[in-house]
Amino acid sequence: MAGPAAGAHEEVLIRPVSTFRPKLFVGSLVTGLIMAVLFYSWGYQIVNDIGVAGINRPVFWGFYIVNFVFWIGISHAGTLISAILRVTQAEWRRPVTRCAEAITTFALMIGGLFPLIHLGRPWVFWYMVPIPTDRGLWPNFRSPLMWDIMAITTYLLGSILYLLLPMIPDFAILRDRMMRESPKSLRTLFFRVAALGWRGTPQQWYSLEAAIRAMAVVIIPVAVSVHTIVSWDFAMAIQPMWHSAIFGPYFVVGAIYSGVAVLMVAMYLLRRGLGIQEFLNDKVFNNLGLMFLAFALLWGYFTFAEHLTVWYGNEHAEIAVFDFRVTGGFAWLFWTMIVVNVVIPLLILPFPKGRKPLGTAIVGLGVLVGMWIERFLIVVGTLRFPRLDFTAGAYTPSWVEIGILVGSIGMFGFLYFTFLQLAPIVSLWEVREGAHIANRAGPAKRHALEPASEEA
Amino acid sequence: MTDGRLHAAFATSAEVRVALNRLGQDGVPPDAVEIRSSVPLEHDIVPVGGRIKSRLPWTSVVGGLVGGTAFFMLVKLTSEAYPLPTGGMPIVPMPTTGVITFEGLAIGAVIATVATMLYECGLPSLFKKAGPLDHHIASDHILVTVTCDEGASSAWTAKALETARD
Amino acid sequence: MTRWGMVFDTDRCTGCGACSVACHAENNIQTVGEVEAAKGRAMHWLRIERHYEGVFPDVKVRFMPVLCQQCANAPCEPVCPVYATYRTPEGLNAMVYSRCIGTRYCANNCPYTVRFFNWFAPEFSAPLERQLNPDVSVRPAGVMEKCTFCVQRIQDAQDIAQDEERDVRDGEIRTACSQSCPAQAIVFGDLDNPDSRVAQLARTERATHLLEELSTEPSVTYLRGVR
Repeated sequence: MAGPAAGAHEEVLIRPVSTFRPKLFVGSLVTGLIMAVLFYSWGYQIVNDIGVAGINRPVFWGFYIVNFVFWIGISHAGTLISAILRVTQAEWRRPVTRCAEAITTFALMIGGLFPLIHLGRPWVFWYMVPIPTDRGLWPNFRSPLMWDIMAITTYLLGSILYLLLPMIPDFAILRDRMMRESPKSLRTLFFRVAALGWRGTPQQWYSLEAAIRAMAVVIIPVAVSVHTIVSWDFAMAIQPMWHSAIFGPYFVVGAIYSGVAVLMVAMYLLRRGLGIQEFLNDKVFNNLGLMFLAFALLWGYFTFAEHLTVWYGNEHAEIAVFDFRVTGGFAWLFWTMIVVNVVIPLLILPFPKGRKPLGTAIVGLGVLVGMWIERFLIVVGTLRFPRLDFTAGAYTPSWVEIGILVGSIGMFGFLYFTFLQLAPIVSLWEVREGAHIANRAGPAKRHALEPASEEA
Repeated sequence: MTDGRLHAAFATSAEVRVALNRLGQDGVPPDAVEIRSSVPLEHDIVPVGGRIKSRLPWTSVVGGLVGGTAFFMLVKLTSEAYPLPTGGMPIVPMPTTGVITFEGLAIGAVIATVATMLYECGLPSLFKKAGPLDHHIASDHILVTVTCDEGASSAWTAKALETARD
Repeated sequence: MTRWGMVFDTDRCTGCGACSVACHAENNIQTVGEVEAAKGRAMHWLRIERHYEGVFPDVKVRFMPVLCQQCANAPCEPVCPVYATYRTPEGLNAMVYSRCIGTRYCANNCPYTVRFFNWFAPEFSAPLERQLNPDVSVRPAGVMEKCTFCVQRIQDAQDIAQDEERDVRDGEIRTACSQSCPAQAIVFGDLDNPDSRVAQLARTERATHLLEELSTEPSVTYLRGVR
């Protein structure tokens, strides 16, 4: 006999982890092969020098920096859900926290690769690490790239720990269950080690919840600072349409926007693939869809403000970049971005029918493409038109850069598929806790609080 | 007289409260009672006479201050120790040093939080014996374990789902 | 204190390009080849910009030789994460090839686009390698480079002057470009020496700077064409 929240509902969450699922394994395999494209292309580039990429003068930064900003931006999904919603005690967040935080951690791991990929001499990247040597030299902490390193390291460490801490009690649940069902299997051993010996005593729960609360509060300013610092890679430079004070908040908003987009797509695929509609239900999609709409509006507002000031100021160097972006050679990219980032979300998300899972996933896919285009327009669009007109240039990505982009998407899929087979994607104890809280609150409140509602 | 453990699994926290009261009346010391659950319980479900405390979040604050100071020192002292020519620009500007100090604050807070939590929870502790009724925790029940003499009174297990000894 | 500077008289400049060629020869700059040059990877530390005014047949061409401006307030310096570029006490913006890890941030922040990146390792097929200047390094792939005001010639002249226990004389140091200009449009010298030719020219009323509004404080002065 099971307690009030456990039972048949949870089997669908536990099965991918407790038994071998061929579909998930094949998923890992296929995405692993795609990921191999990244490492092959990167290896090719290291052996044959960075000239095999399409970057040139004056477009010294191309796909790699675009992808770097893109992936770091996506990593803001988890922080929004698991941190901000925890701090504001939004009960509906319970089924979503882990899949969101997993997105954050894996996106950060991938994004953190790109600064290495884009270096001309990656084997001496350690010059940026403050190790005393007898060279008499030291890294330059005034450079935004050094801030990048500090920020992304902090955020990555924080994210990994913030993902792992709430997983300990879930590993304990799986350990206790599998010790009875199959005490000798490899999986059971994995859960025994992963649970770290968690007992679930009141003291441990108290400490854990205090730690999670503290981490949630710390990780929110870290997330804001990380993407602000990434935006300052551009804003600190005096290039036309880069040197803008708005970049800090603009990029943070854009990051959360693209993060929620990935989350919507991932949640939709998880629903379909794992059959967990009960947990990732319409109510969760509806609430996230409303946040999605809010960020669409915010992003549109910042974009409009940025472009209006440039256009109105009519400064020669900036107008060259602006004209090419809005009415010139990049106009097709720019207006596609506006359509998928503003027009389509505003046509779909304000309506309750549009906030059903399929609607938000479609909007999310469009926003992902749109946000990648936005980063491309910012990086390449400005670099093509330096201040001295004579040196204007063009940029065509080579197969190496495209391969690394495709491979990075494969890497994300690989990490996620592997994660699905190692840990329950919905946090068991948090959902159980939510059900207990709903039961204690009484029948009137249960309807509002219970995440796994029967209404769907 | 050998000390054994008596395990009892309960379905609801109300029943656990009753059991804990009985244990308190029987004079069982709080150290001998262990409550285990798969979800955090209400804060009054503790053995009679037991106390729960945590040094968080103050250790996070201290860790943050240590981390922030450490990173600030790193930037300031090392940049001044290797004074490279910068053409008149300051070698330790406050705004840029501030960015790095902020990240140091965050990383110090994160590490201190996790370290405190692991210490207070006694993790990792991979060598504690598993009990015969542990699977009940996995099915959302609450397990109470008392270390006591063989054949000691067990009135408190009256409403348990199942009991066992080891 | 010495502060190296240069003056370009754009009225004298004929756009012949001898300065650019001499720079290539003096500084072991690689010739990237047709394919790479079409991709925009040519490396001309000193380039001649051509600006056309008017419509045929009343066309005027103005030539502007652009090289690293050796800015006193260089935007390329604070952004390098490894201090591969810094300002020397004598007013040069130095580039440390062995320190450069190739982030290319400095090139992005240079408003004059005068920095060049080694996308591939240089190839000097025989017999071109015999023409290489032994006083200058050959940069490997992945490293940034730019005009150094022929720092090897400055070093050489300073060494000789030190041996002879005297100061460097004005006009003693000729950069490769100033040496090879047939119109003598390029003058190099010590801006802090008020009697030097370059300091006198920089004070004339035709003197102007590129992108002065950015406050980069360049050490290169352009003399406007006589109208």
